[in-house]
Amino acid sequence: MKVLIAEDDPDIQLILRMVLTRMGKCDVRVTDQGEEILKQIALDRPDFILLDVMLPGMSGYDICKALKGDATSRDIPVIFLTARSMPSEIKDAMALGALGYLSKPFDPMMLVSQINDLLSPVGCSIGG
Amino acid sequence: MEEISARSFEQVLNSTVRMIRGSWSVPVCLFLQVDDGGKMRIRASDGLPSAVPSAFGFTPTDGLAARCLEKNEILESGSHPWDDGLEALLASVKTEKAATFILVPVAGQSRTLGVLVLGPVAGNQNFKNREAELRGAGNLCAVLSAYWRLYEWMNHFLPQINHELRTPLTAIQGSIGMVLGGVFGNVGSEVKAMLEMAHKGCERTVTAIEEYINRQNTGGTQ
Repeated sequence: MKVLIAEDDPDIQLILRMVLTRMGKCDVRVTDQGEEILKQIALDRPDFILLDVMLPGMSGYDICKALKGDATSRDIPVIFLTARSMPSEIKDAMALGALGYLSKPFDPMMLVSQINDLLSPVGCSIGG
Repeated sequence: MEEISARSFEQVLNSTVRMIRGSWSVPVCLFLQVDDGGKMRIRASDGLPSAVPSAFGFTPTDGLAARCLEKNEILESGSHPWDDGLEALLASVKTEKAATFILVPVAGQSRTLGVLVLGPVAGNQNFKNREAELRGAGNLCAVLSAYWRLYEWMNHFLPQINHELRTPLTAIQGSIGMVLGGVFGNVGSEVKAMLEMAHKGCERTVTAIEEYINRQNTGGTQ
């Protein structure tokens, strides 16, 4: 499974990369620029995206909106992984067509199963 | 229940200024508030013949409003030169008989918030003997203004603080969680005990943040 992580904090990037590579058995790509993600997807389509909200250049909300508005990327599951956890923020993110929402801080030992819970309706899973 | 918004505060403050204007039977009442940049801007008004440009504002340095703030005194126009732009704003409502404005300091708990301007009135009217009433009107604006600022703070800064605290906690809790989860092999019992303590500390901090956020979302009723 190919995952694209859009996250600007280098420490969190490292943790996500380790968890998803070692425990999730994923092929991981990371970007820290909001605008970069759309280019990366066009070059190398991921199976799902872990998306932060606060990204330089373009917010996660705008990226999700752009992805869901494009026929070629509409089907890619988007999971928000963000510290913006106010109920109104979660509601806004889900209204954009995201598959799910995970709040920071997360338990790295639980992350794979949490992602699998969210991916199960679209028939995907990681870690197998 | 109708949701409270910035618009609700604006309406309540404008209604209060209208009420003050009515109770003092003056053509104009303005509440000028010092913003975060130190500029004095109109927060609420009633009776001005035309809309005030949104950019209107002045830095209180040595004019009448600045002196009212600095001395925390009720002042009458004519006792000191006007602040830049304020005299021009009020010029159209002045008449030959009524050309005096009263400036009342609006003070918060620890600082002055702004100035309430009432007028124009005839110069021979003595407002000094009604100082307590005037200060009461100023205090009403201060309380409403403080609530509005608190509302703004909670809406703008609390989500920001939530985000700023959660991001480093993710790195701390995540890295410790991976070590404790055995991702990098076994650790000694003493090291493990120390890391568990740090991990619990992170969890307690996250719980505390969530409690504050929940309290905000329930209007502080819990």
